[in-house]
Amino acid sequence: MGATKADLLRGTLDMLILKTLALAPLHGLGISRRIDQVTEGVFQVKPGSLFPALHRLEERGWIQGDWGESENNRRAKYYQLTRAGRRRLGEEKENWTQVVVAITKLLEAS
Amino acid sequence: MPVLPWLRSTFHSLTKQERVDRDLDEELEAYLDLLVDEKVQQVMSREAALREARIELGGTEQVKQQVRETRAGTWLDTLIRDVRLAARTLRKNPGFTVVAVLVLALGIGATTALFSTVSAALLSQLPFQQPDRLIAGFKTYDGVRAGPVSRLDYYDYRELANSFEHLAAMADITMEQTLTGEGHAEIVDSGFVTWNLFPALGVTPVVGRPFMEDEDEGGAGVALISHDFWKSRFGGSSDAVGKILRLDGEPTTIVGVMPEGFQVLLDVDLWRLVDREGPFDLQRDSHSHLLVGRLAPGVSLQQAQLEVSTISRSLEEQYPVSNESKGLALTGLHDAMVAKVRLSLLMLMATGVLVLFIASSNVAGLLLARGHRRLPEIATRIALGAPRRRLIRQLLTESVIVSLLAGLLGVGVAFGFHRLLLRALPIGELGIGFASIDQRALVFALFLSIATGLVVGVIPALRATTVDPSLYLKSGPQHSQDARSSRLWSGLVIVQVAVSTLLLVGSALLISNLVELATTDLGFESANLLTGSVSIPEVKYPSPAERNEFFRSLLEQIEAIPGVESASMVNKLPISSPWQNWAVWPAGQERPAHDDLQSAMARWVPPGYFRTMEMPLLQGRDIDMTDDRDSPRVLVITESVARKLFPGRNPIGESVIVGSTDWPPHEVIGMVADARVNQVFLGPDPAMYMSTYQLAPRQMQLAVRTASDPLLLEESISRIVREMDEDVLLADPRTLQSVVDRSMAGFSVVTLSSGVFSAIALALAAIGLYGLLAHAVNQRLNEIGIRLAMGATRGDLLRMVLKRGLILVGFGLLLGAAGALMVTLALQRLPFEAQTVSAASYLGATLVLALVAASACFLPAWRATRVSPIDVLRQE
Repeated sequence: MGATKADLLRGTLDMLILKTLALAPLHGLGISRRIDQVTEGVFQVKPGSLFPALHRLEERGWIQGDWGESENNRRAKYYQLTRAGRRRLGEEKENWTQVVVAITKLLEAS
Repeated sequence: MPVLPWLRSTFHSLTKQERVDRDLDEELEAYLDLLVDEKVQQVMSREAALREARIELGGTEQVKQQVRETRAGTWLDTLIRDVRLAARTLRKNPGFTVVAVLVLALGIGATTALFSTVSAALLSQLPFQQPDRLIAGFKTYDGVRAGPVSRLDYYDYRELANSFEHLAAMADITMEQTLTGEGHAEIVDSGFVTWNLFPALGVTPVVGRPFMEDEDEGGAGVALISHDFWKSRFGGSSDAVGKILRLDGEPTTIVGVMPEGFQVLLDVDLWRLVDREGPFDLQRDSHSHLLVGRLAPGVSLQQAQLEVSTISRSLEEQYPVSNESKGLALTGLHDAMVAKVRLSLLMLMATGVLVLFIASSNVAGLLLARGHRRLPEIATRIALGAPRRRLIRQLLTESVIVSLLAGLLGVGVAFGFHRLLLRALPIGELGIGFASIDQRALVFALFLSIATGLVVGVIPALRATTVDPSLYLKSGPQHSQDARSSRLWSGLVIVQVAVSTLLLVGSALLISNLVELATTDLGFESANLLTGSVSIPEVKYPSPAERNEFFRSLLEQIEAIPGVESASMVNKLPISSPWQNWAVWPAGQERPAHDDLQSAMARWVPPGYFRTMEMPLLQGRDIDMTDDRDSPRVLVITESVARKLFPGRNPIGESVIVGSTDWPPHEVIGMVADARVNQVFLGPDPAMYMSTYQLAPRQMQLAVRTASDPLLLEESISRIVREMDEDVLLADPRTLQSVVDRSMAGFSVVTLSSGVFSAIALALAAIGLYGLLAHAVNQRLNEIGIRLAMGATRGDLLRMVLKRGLILVGFGLLLGAAGALMVTLALQRLPFEAQTVSAASYLGATLVLALVAASACFLPAWRATRVSPIDVLRQE
């Protein structure tokens, strides 16, 4: 999956962010670190793609950002999933599963 | 995407731009702080951590820009910025902006004006129900369209064909009739139609009832009146229906009033029914009806054509004498109405597009040069990280702004062209929309402007943004870049010269044709001739002797008016009342087969007609007063008829059959020269002249030769007519010259327009040439300075620059002349007298172009010689 490290598909990144925020509200760096951790370094989200994605998601009303305090008392903007965002995540997951199943079938068919 | 949040965000980012930006700043700062904290925790010095964190974050500005670009409404924001920047840049270069806007305005204006004309004529819809189902029918001989249809053939087509919901006919001319009875006497134009014309068009009277099918036999004496006539004669009163009009003495009852503005093909005051026994087409070889029909549902034009062709063939078998080789051609009604002007209009439109093309390539050349001058600016922007796409967009925004300004001005130019030229174009028949600069034209101008801006700007923008900033910023100007651009520009200039050569040659040909036409001998003298028509009611003048006496006395009284040189009359005046060709063949022979049958325009005149019209009598004698109803029929034929019927023989004294064997033979008593009887544009027509006093018609057209301005005598002549009988009027008084002029008006306007557009094209090409050379001289100032310092004479320099310009002109001329040959071939298809390729036109046009081009080259060349070597070398 070397190539996707650099250029994550836009839709995939949106889904990853939504999924990450489904567990708990996080700030930008937190999101990027969480994705890195969970995917064991396969996906590294750079600020250049993270922030545009966050703004896009916020504009669509799927996440909402609020200023808060970080664990070491720094001001940070925390993002949380909205109701619409949660619905969206469900849809994305379903689509994703369908795509994966379809592609797997295709690859396994000889 | 949910619309509401998106809209809200768009609005938000536009209005709260500042706040959002600040918020983003803070967020990025916080992100950096968190990152630094993280690094410090990994046991790193604060400085090292900050440095690493900055590297990881990347350029804050870039991230911010990326975020901005994902925001809704960014495109609008970017556009506003681009427009602002473009406006600023353009304001700083007023010279370039003004020239580019003016040049494009001419092109866009010309094209818009012509588009409005063409769209009104060719794209408009007829104001009837489902206009695309309406057809028109014309007679053909051997498949060649040959005008109106015989009424008797029409009845057969109507009876036998199933392809039509309705197939209607109308007489191809109106009849001027004298209306008497209640109220004042006046002349009205009557149209003769079959009952089903109005149902075919889907039009019903607004007051009263339509014609009924059972009235179709004619003789019902009913009329429908036009809305205008209803207003003027009856003040729009509903009592009009049921009123009885006396038309040339015959009682006719008004049954209804047609809707406002309704007219079809001919402009009439009232419609009457084609009478089975009526005045038109008593025989199958007399043709004076236009067919208008509506296709039955589901039937295509082709299917209908197939069916009528089959019917034509059976008519041929049934009536071999009159119908041999005769057919019926169907076309869409709208097509039929614009057929005459279609080619001229398309040609004019092409001229306009070519002018726009020259203007555009001209501005493209200017933009190339400008792109070159802006290389430092562009290189700097690229070095600072501007993506190429953004730069191209910026440059295109500039050219589109220029072209939009030009479009704005161009609409004004279009109005000008329209007012000066195109309004005078007699477009097609009645019912075809009149051209105006309307909404459609404005939308067209807008799209044209945007498209022009993009097309004009795209190559210069691509060119300008290929610069390699590292090379450029390191050293001075890149001459390779300039060489490529200027090669491109030279190409553009060659094309401009070529296209304007083509246009010039084309309009030179048209102009020489017009001059030729204007000086053509029509075969009669049209100046100082007053015409008008007079018809007397048959009920008041039932006997031929009474009718003859009326007209004889009328001419006598008119000739007594001071200022009248002679007065005469004819059943149909030349040009203003064309056609009516009858067969003619030597008596004692069988009627020749169709291919060998000679026909001639049938006219009847009193003695002295040829003298009044100044048509030379070549042989024999004129018609005499003694050639009346009691003496043998006489005939004067034109030279071409004589040649055809009696080749190599003296025609005088020969006996011929005119029209039909039912008529007594006529003795040829004289021969006159051929004259143009039908159209100014076609050659002379064969004609034959009978003695009007042997026929005693009740309607004639006057021709009064006057010593000075004919219109001065209109009053006196009208008065004499009224004094002779209060129920008789002089209809349609006008000079024959005005009729001749009007028939040439269309051609004059086409010629004049194409002349104006070619002149514009020439001016634009000259501007392009001048711009290119001036730029080249500017680029080569150093070289010129060195050459001067090394001892080159000013003459050498003049030659050097001139040579470059003249090579371009030479290429352009060659290409253009070749293209002009093709245009000439197209022109020969115009419905005007076909012209051969005239060497004079080519030579004239080429010469004019060469002269103008040479002066455009001379100015920059002369400037080159004024260069001071010291100044130039010092600047280096």
